[in-house]
Amino acid sequence: MATIIAFRALIDRACREQPGIDPDTCYDLKLAVEEACTNVVTHGYAGMNPGSIVLCLELEPHQIRVTLTDFGHAFEPYDPGLPDLEASLDEGLSHGFGLHLIYQTMDEIHYETGEAGNHLTFVRRLPARQEP
Amino acid sequence: MFRNLRVRKEPKKYVSEDQQLALDWFTRSANVPVTLRQINGLPEEPKRRTYRALLPPTLLSQFGIDPVTWEGPDGAGHVSITAKSGSGVMSLTVRRHPDPSDELFYLELEDTSMNGIQVNFILIRDPRGACFRTDCDDEGRSTLFGTVHRNFGAELDAMEAGLAPGQVCQGLRASRQTLEHLEAFLVTTGHSAYFLEPLTYASAWLFERRGFAYVRGHKLMDDIHEGFQPGGRLDRALDGSTPFRQPGQGRTVRGRAWAIHDGILEAMGASWDGLRMIKQVGRHAGVDTFPGATY
Repeated sequence: MATIIAFRALIDRACREQPGIDPDTCYDLKLAVEEACTNVVTHGYAGMNPGSIVLCLELEPHQIRVTLTDFGHAFEPYDPGLPDLEASLDEGLSHGFGLHLIYQTMDEIHYETGEAGNHLTFVRRLPARQEP
Repeated sequence: MFRNLRVRKEPKKYVSEDQQLALDWFTRSANVPVTLRQINGLPEEPKRRTYRALLPPTLLSQFGIDPVTWEGPDGAGHVSITAKSGSGVMSLTVRRHPDPSDELFYLELEDTSMNGIQVNFILIRDPRGACFRTDCDDEGRSTLFGTVHRNFGAELDAMEAGLAPGQVCQGLRASRQTLEHLEAFLVTTGHSAYFLEPLTYASAWLFERRGFAYVRGHKLMDDIHEGFQPGGRLDRALDGSTPFRQPGQGRTVRGRAWAIHDGILEAMGASWDGLRMIKQVGRHAGVDTFPGATY
């Protein structure tokens, strides 16, 4: 939980310092990071003394790239179809919904796993800025 | 792009199953990692050439040891390699004198069962200064750095001399340099990360500063930090009941480390066990579980 709070604060600060990031984008980034971290803690580090989650935030002129690295159980891509929204509501918006939110709000999602951990990368493109 | 993720229970293996390196290995993709077992299968001279990169030259030269020949001013060899063919373990030992107790550097690496390299042991110490027999009890039995038996008198002396648990002598302030050489070696052999298990709280904190993250144990480190805050469970257990549990010890890394070595984690129903750290080659993870720490 402390990690998620620290990540939210870091994203907030980065959004303030980088021109062209609107509050909605900042909110979506925080939500995506929070959902991804919750996934790692709930599934990746399940049944073990939880390890670290490392956040790397790359602010580029036209996009923001977020990479979360963890060292727990790896995930594998698969397509279970859209989550059952009714069931998800019954279960407190937990089952499969977090990832669904990330897919809805980010422009690119990549996942790779290897010797140096599991890397979940998502990219949010920024609208073209108007020249004054 | 994919739509969802599923937990994979078994890690994927990346390295090849070859037991020994053949010359044609050098013509294959340089991105494929090689194992220590493969290097250990080489003849002695190429094996020595390969592992020589692990030793920082300045560490050797300050003791008059030639970084290439490993000979000292007396003409004798001061560095030994143990890297048997067929084994996935290698170690390097540097001694100032032939006396086995005069060890100043020891590094042991091992192939992990699946993907990478594990540092089993790293010891860098200055035998020129005062040393304390925290590694042996009164009857001369090894304490395994205080993990099996303890030599309370020597530990007390070591603590008062400013050492951390597990230390016998002061260090050589060469851990950064040594880890940089280890990373260079791992890059050469195609690895992108390595692992270790910190023996003590102080070593975990040091490895955090060197860029490591936790595979297991980050939450324990966070809980320890919280416990040592004023009024926390560990802070309350610093009750003066032993020399290693004095009030105020929670303010420093060494103070915490000695209290943990003394078993204070029982106060929060935990133990110093099962921590595992990872260093991604070329990257600093930025983990800091004791912000603003004083060593």
